[in-house]
Amino acid sequence: MYKYVIRRLLFALPVLLLSSLIVFGLMRVMPGDALVALMGESGNVGQRELAKLRKDLGLDRPYHEQYLIWVWQMVSLNPGDSIFTNEPIAVALKKSIPVTLELATLAMVLGLVIAIPIGVLSATRQDTPSDYVGRVVAVSGLSLPDFWLGTLVITFAAIWFHWIPPIGYVTFWESPWRNLQQFLLPAAVLGFRLSAATMRMTRSTLLEVLREDYVRTAWAKGLEGRIVVYKHALKNALIPVVTIVGGQMATLLAGAVVVETIFALPGMGRLTVEAILFRDYPVVQTNVMLVAATLVTLNLLVDLTYAWLDPRIRYG
Amino acid sequence: MAIATARISALEEPPVRTVRRGAALWAVIRRKPLGLTSAAVLVLFVLTAVFADVLAPYDPLATQPEIRLSPPSQSHLFGTDDIGRDVLSRVVHGSRISLWVGLLAVGIGTVAGMIIGLLCGYCEGRLDLLVQRLMDAIQAIPGLILALAIVSVLKPSTTNAMLAIAIVIIPGNSRIVRGAVLSAKQNRYVEAALAIGCRHPRIITSHILPNVTAPILIIASIWFGNAILIEATLSFLGLGTQPPTPSWGLMLSSTGRAFMEQAPWLAIFPGLAISLAVLGFNLFGDTLRDAWDPKLRRQG
Repeated sequence: MYKYVIRRLLFALPVLLLSSLIVFGLMRVMPGDALVALMGESGNVGQRELAKLRKDLGLDRPYHEQYLIWVWQMVSLNPGDSIFTNEPIAVALKKSIPVTLELATLAMVLGLVIAIPIGVLSATRQDTPSDYVGRVVAVSGLSLPDFWLGTLVITFAAIWFHWIPPIGYVTFWESPWRNLQQFLLPAAVLGFRLSAATMRMTRSTLLEVLREDYVRTAWAKGLEGRIVVYKHALKNALIPVVTIVGGQMATLLAGAVVVETIFALPGMGRLTVEAILFRDYPVVQTNVMLVAATLVTLNLLVDLTYAWLDPRIRYG
Repeated sequence: MAIATARISALEEPPVRTVRRGAALWAVIRRKPLGLTSAAVLVLFVLTAVFADVLAPYDPLATQPEIRLSPPSQSHLFGTDDIGRDVLSRVVHGSRISLWVGLLAVGIGTVAGMIIGLLCGYCEGRLDLLVQRLMDAIQAIPGLILALAIVSVLKPSTTNAMLAIAIVIIPGNSRIVRGAVLSAKQNRYVEAALAIGCRHPRIITSHILPNVTAPILIIASIWFGNAILIEATLSFLGLGTQPPTPSWGLMLSSTGRAFMEQAPWLAIFPGLAISLAVLGFNLFGDTLRDAWDPKLRRQG
């Protein structure tokens, strides 16, 4: 297992390094530079001020120096200041990360709560109306845009129940009820989208496992259906589902961008969109890199969990 | 020499494969109701986009402030927006943007991914290792976030959204093609073609490529739906198609949200159009997979 962990770590590091090069390179592809673009749009900044700002932000240095400084800033958890608000990015992230984390966790839980029972129902009643309904729900989850679903949820909650999500973010510790009111709908929207792939995976792996010999033996022993499905089959069928759930972190983080914007939640997604709209490139590059690092780490953890659950992997 | 030529021509019979694939697809479409429905949705989507000028009852940009925010009626089936533009005409014309973005983004992404995958899978070695790590690095950034970052650099527009989506598509496609090439390379006929002195470009185009077209088409079909979704999301966030061009995502963002309580039809119809198109492509991708991937066909 140790060898496997070291091998996976050695794969993850160059990927992260290359990702950082891509993100850094991307931000420098902009014709001119970020500052000229930003200030040019406001139209009232002289050349001297521009040169001073460029020097202050280190944009006058050679690219490789800028890159190394940035990597050091990222590693030392001090990724500089926002061009737009002048606030340290670390402060903005400290405020926004818990929001996204809460949204992601709730969405993940809701997604699993929706996905696994429907997946099991679909598999145990293959080719019956409940299977068809389950499959249509799954494909709908993949096809309905989350921004549309979010907009509809807000609209119809307001029209039918005269209810609008409370404005002004409140942490869970300040007021758990108000906080849940703010998070439940966006998490449900995001969770519905997440549930689609998990549902499909649960269905197909369970179908496969249900045809295994040991399941047939369980039936032959006269065990109750519930025990055969939930205790014998589902346990093994859920192993590949772990990978799917891990792989969905990307969908989750991307979905958070849209859902946070619609539901006005001050998370990382909204921070990124605002930074992109204001061309606040230090914030954009920090956030994109942070997302990449999170995903690489999570994928690593998922792979390790998978190897732990299924020993054939680590010797493969 | 004659035998060698005969062998080469025997190795080059992709048309038969194509006909069989067509027949397999048609059989699945006829057998499975969802396959038929998805094919019908796609045909409807393409026809709407191609004949938008004929089908749209009004000019999608023509404003009539006196009938602003009118609910759906006989004269305006999907109602009108905040400056009196016909929503149906805008939805019909919006299909053009989606089809255009889907075609070009998936086209560029697929061709580039295919070239990279073919080269990596065929050559292997250091080039493969390096390029694959680069693809890993691109894939480490979620598609939408990468597209957002690219568009922020290039400035928001339909063309730039298209380019960004194409870049997002490349790594996944290259990986699938690479896998298919690695497996196709193991075939005896590739070894035979090498033995009789076929040159590498010829082996790649005549013997390997026909083996990777099925996975490419399946994945392209699924990506088409995703491309429509990403474009709509970018436009929704103000980073894709710019006003007044009718784009489904933009319609939801600009007027759809501002007047959603007063005029819910502004949000409902463009959203339905996106969902239907994406659903059509996702289901069609599933149908292609059922028809062309024997491993999955067994599972039903």
